[in-house]
Amino acid sequence: MTADPATDDRLPRRGVPLIDGVEKVTGRARYTADLDHADALVGRILRSPVSHGEIVRLGVSKARALEGVFAVVTGDDCPYTYGVLPVAMNEYPMARERVRYRGEPIAAVAAVDAETAERAIHLIELEMRRLPAYYTSAEARAPGATLLHDDKPGNIEREVHHEFGNWQQGFATADLVREEKISCAEVNHAQIEPHACLADYDPTTERLTVQSVSQVGYYLHLMLARCLEMDASRIRIVKPSIGGGFGARVEVLNFEIITALLARSAAGKVLMRLSREETFLTHRARPQTDITLRLAMRRDGRITACTCEVVQRGGAYAGYGIVTILYAGALLQGLYDIPAVKYDGYRVYANLPPCGAMRGHGSVDTRHVFECLLDRMARDLGLDPFAVRRANLLHAPTRTMNDLIVNSYGLPECLDRVECASRWHDRIGKLPDGKGLGMACSHYVSGAAKPIHWTGEPHAVVNVRLDFDGGITALTGAADIGQGSSTMVAITVSETLGVALNRVRVIAADSAVTPKDNGAYSSRITFMVGNAAIDAAKKLKAILVDAAARKLEARPDDIKMVGENFCIGSGEQASLSFAEVASAALVDRGAITVSGTFTCPPDAQGGRHKGGAVGSTMGFSYAAQVVEVSVDDATGTVTVDKVWAALDCGHAINPLAVEGQIQGSVWMGMGQALCEETRYIDGLPAHASLLEYRMPTIAESPPIEVHIVESHDPYGPFGAKETSEGALASFPPALVNAIANAIGIDFNELPVTPDRVMEALIQRRRQARLASALKAAT
Amino acid sequence: MTSPLSEFHLAQPRTVKEAIAARLEHPGSRFVAGGTDLLVNMRRGISGPDLLIDLSGIDELTEIKTNGRGVTIGSGVTIATLARNTLVAARYCALLQAAEAIAGPGHRIMGTVGGNLCLDTRCIYYNQSEWWRRANAYCLKSRGDICHVAPQGQRCHAAYAGDLAPALLVLGAEVDIAGAQGHRRIPLGELYVEDGRAHLVLADGELIAAVHLPSDPPPSAYAKVRVRRAVDFPLAGVAVALAASLANVSSLRIALTGTNSRPFLLAGTELFIGRPIDEKLLQEIDRLVQKQVQPKRTTIVSANYRRAAAAALARRMTAKLFAERMA
Amino acid sequence: MHASGPQSKGRLLKLKLNGRWREDVVAESELLVDYLREVARLTGVKIGCDGGECGACTVLIDGEAVPSCITLAARCEGRHIETIEGLATQGRLSRLQRAFHEKLGTQCGFCTPGMIMAAEALLRRNPTPTNSEIRAALSGNLCRCTGYVKIVEAVEAAAGQLHDR
Repeated sequence: MTADPATDDRLPRRGVPLIDGVEKVTGRARYTADLDHADALVGRILRSPVSHGEIVRLGVSKARALEGVFAVVTGDDCPYTYGVLPVAMNEYPMARERVRYRGEPIAAVAAVDAETAERAIHLIELEMRRLPAYYTSAEARAPGATLLHDDKPGNIEREVHHEFGNWQQGFATADLVREEKISCAEVNHAQIEPHACLADYDPTTERLTVQSVSQVGYYLHLMLARCLEMDASRIRIVKPSIGGGFGARVEVLNFEIITALLARSAAGKVLMRLSREETFLTHRARPQTDITLRLAMRRDGRITACTCEVVQRGGAYAGYGIVTILYAGALLQGLYDIPAVKYDGYRVYANLPPCGAMRGHGSVDTRHVFECLLDRMARDLGLDPFAVRRANLLHAPTRTMNDLIVNSYGLPECLDRVECASRWHDRIGKLPDGKGLGMACSHYVSGAAKPIHWTGEPHAVVNVRLDFDGGITALTGAADIGQGSSTMVAITVSETLGVALNRVRVIAADSAVTPKDNGAYSSRITFMVGNAAIDAAKKLKAILVDAAARKLEARPDDIKMVGENFCIGSGEQASLSFAEVASAALVDRGAITVSGTFTCPPDAQGGRHKGGAVGSTMGFSYAAQVVEVSVDDATGTVTVDKVWAALDCGHAINPLAVEGQIQGSVWMGMGQALCEETRYIDGLPAHASLLEYRMPTIAESPPIEVHIVESHDPYGPFGAKETSEGALASFPPALVNAIANAIGIDFNELPVTPDRVMEALIQRRRQARLASALKAAT
Repeated sequence: MTSPLSEFHLAQPRTVKEAIAARLEHPGSRFVAGGTDLLVNMRRGISGPDLLIDLSGIDELTEIKTNGRGVTIGSGVTIATLARNTLVAARYCALLQAAEAIAGPGHRIMGTVGGNLCLDTRCIYYNQSEWWRRANAYCLKSRGDICHVAPQGQRCHAAYAGDLAPALLVLGAEVDIAGAQGHRRIPLGELYVEDGRAHLVLADGELIAAVHLPSDPPPSAYAKVRVRRAVDFPLAGVAVALAASLANVSSLRIALTGTNSRPFLLAGTELFIGRPIDEKLLQEIDRLVQKQVQPKRTTIVSANYRRAAAAALARRMTAKLFAERMA
Repeated sequence: MHASGPQSKGRLLKLKLNGRWREDVVAESELLVDYLREVARLTGVKIGCDGGECGACTVLIDGEAVPSCITLAARCEGRHIETIEGLATQGRLSRLQRAFHEKLGTQCGFCTPGMIMAAEALLRRNPTPTNSEIRAALSGNLCRCTGYVKIVEAVEAAAGQLHDR
């Protein structure tokens, strides 16, 4: 199943630039909106102005009659739901009868130009009957609340109740029990590329070609076939360059289906480009979450039990919600050794844009609360934060109580590395006023071991081709969305084969050419696609070695590669160039295509308990980080001065890209911790621009020192695991812990914006005045 | 492509006179300088002039002139040019700091002194797309009947968020206003009124031609609170100019932005003249600021924060200027 | 497809684009970003926001880095516009392009053209910027992938201030 990396040091261990990097720095990379659309119609969407209501009348005849309008589609044109989980598809591409959030698509037009399309949108007549709308979990769950979905009493999409071990006993035997209620704001992926889709329908051949921003072309393919009632063989999905994803584009999105419906209706090509505001409205990001966590601890820092209640405000439709609420509980485990866990999760519907998967899916907010609480309990017990983590380490290989497998575990080394690099023990408690250090740990899956659409097929397939030119082409359905996955495929193939990196081309994500792939989500590509690529390359290598052996009249076992040459022994007597061997290999069979696969064994696919598949993975990445902050007590501004982040990625296939992924995920955690937040005013987004959604600029972004830890996972490709998500979740708690260290205030709300800091400081001053007044009075 | 702007003509006059004539001739026209404020609003359908009168080609507006009585800065001088000016850097520290704190570098290259002074007021209910504002029945500032920030009130509470104005206010600036009848000069503070819908006293056809600064202002500083360190309007911005003789205040001016519908000079600071700068005086400044600022729910960040932060900045900057003076 | 309708209030616009003079009829209300993307087909100029917020559309006008999404094309008469497409000469990457490529200053690549153009304006004005000068000059350009760490490194490398680690 695995292979070792080529032993000779062919690639510099610093790593290599992205194989598509030149396209990006020259502006030649074509993103969806850049594709040739000279003859395309312009698509526009009519969105609901109300949060919750019934469509009384929808009149499109005036819009349809406008000159230059080629198609108008509404909910009537698509009576099929779409979504992620086969059991939870309760959303139509355009609302039918009822709308459930402001911004929900109701109708769409395709016209010769943007002005005409917009004029047509304004000509659509819409009458609505308003229904009560709910913007918080509490309102939506209140007795008597109108149901958003008739089959979901209490407006609960999914409840999860898991118990592992004897938690009652764990609490009874503990020296310290502490509980915290912490609220984390809803945030958004805010990838810089706004959503876009180009759909081309040929009425003669009845074929549809869609180019879109999707992270998972396969899902899009399935949903288009379903919603357009088309034979999947007539659909082709091509991935252009993609300007970031972070989970925003894992689910099929309404505008993608709408664009295809318009293209078919107009019998032509339609380009849909969403505004930044619409991109925010499409949402599918991390939900607002309220968490109550209770931990029991012995005096030495050993955790004896954990209970956790999570309430996620999931928005108006199911989306990924069931998975998110399951992840939030499942990933309480897998990082530390916890003898007993009780988890109660509630995914709640509200009249807001639907939430979905976002980097660190499901794990981030619970991890935040857990790590904050660990620190506070360490303080209560007079223990060092590092010592508390070390008192609860796992010992790989092992299985957690909820049946997650842990085969490699670099957390101890991550802790050592950041502790040392930050000079933690020299500095903690000795920093000037207003400055503080905080730390935390986190982990994430290297691909969900159980695919959502269960087909029985391998989890990943990579085809590798060799033809007369000696060029090697790796074909993968995995979407490179900027994370560098195509570069990873090129490296694994070239290292396995022992050929130069630039002999390998990668063609990614074109359903007409590349094998189906489950796509870019849950950090699965390196582990699964990497293994499949290695498998394919090994097969090709065997063919080449056989051919070389025949030509050199030797046994395959005697063939060695020196550079790209195949030889016997040292190569001085007999040596063949790569081109000679390739020609020899082609003689019998012509152009060669081999197929490599990877499948997670059934015992890795999660426990038997309900929902047990979620959280299961072949390998977890592990992270520890230290954050240094300064808090300005006059303005409440928090400045992150420095971050030290260590991540166990098993093996860094491309250290340069690993560093970049760690820095990016740590920084995204910083945004969530410090300043990012989506807020609504009666269901209207108050944040739907890059001015009001305040992702950090370069001006306040800190240096992030990365330490790569390599635990060499026994099943990972060359020992590798994921690297893009694991480090995110330890930033927010490390920050909040650092602020507590700096100013002695524990924050129970994210993000820690200046107004929240100021309010806490004012409240503390008030309490101090009160206390001194009381003291004076007695 | 982006959503197209509604169509308009672009006039490019070479003189102030031509610009004013064009403006008076076309009631639906607007002046545009850098465009960093107006074009963003136009893209959101907030404003739809049928003629834009481009002031950037008028050479007489782009000069910085010095004479014995002070400095004259043309309204067409860009923020970036202002920030690179050595005289400004040496003498008008608050102005330099304010210029450097505006938006992002690209905006500062395009944006002008006049444009920043005439910046439209801002509100979370106003700076939104057409779809958003329509779904919310618009607002008092534009096409609607009520101010969502203060539904019971009669006026618009949108907040002025220009950075230059408070700096210029504490430096004692006057503005030269050109109109059909010629020029008039008023203290900068009189340019503004406390009304988010119409916060400038400029009549139709009038434009700011220049800003005059006295030659020898006291040491000054500007700072603003915002969530990010770039591309963020001030939640509260404070400028302070302080002269001290020995350890006592000889003049103190404090001006604020971001908290009200206009930038304004804090009233009552003349009472501090002759007093030492100590904790008691700083507390009085704090109270004075808290009393005079009127932040409303025009931003996502709470109004209380903006009030408290404005006061905290005023205290800190006064103390700091004093400390520098004594050093 | 042009942003303007049939009764467009058009004018002849003459400007220098990446070193070459050209003339086009543009609507007076046309934004520079649309002119560059739709008329000149320079799609390296990106649109990331609804106006002036993200910096992805940054181009140079007479050497200064500005957002083209809030600039009117008609105001660029006689001026020199430079986009990412104009940086590489005869297929050779510019120093900044090479540094962004080699140092991984680009991940998804969407902010990259604007980021490089902002950095290009900086290095022309100030060939040896400090770390904080780099941060100040790029503070109008948002990136969602890199955390900016390698972007700063790339600019430092292009300025010859970063030795290989």
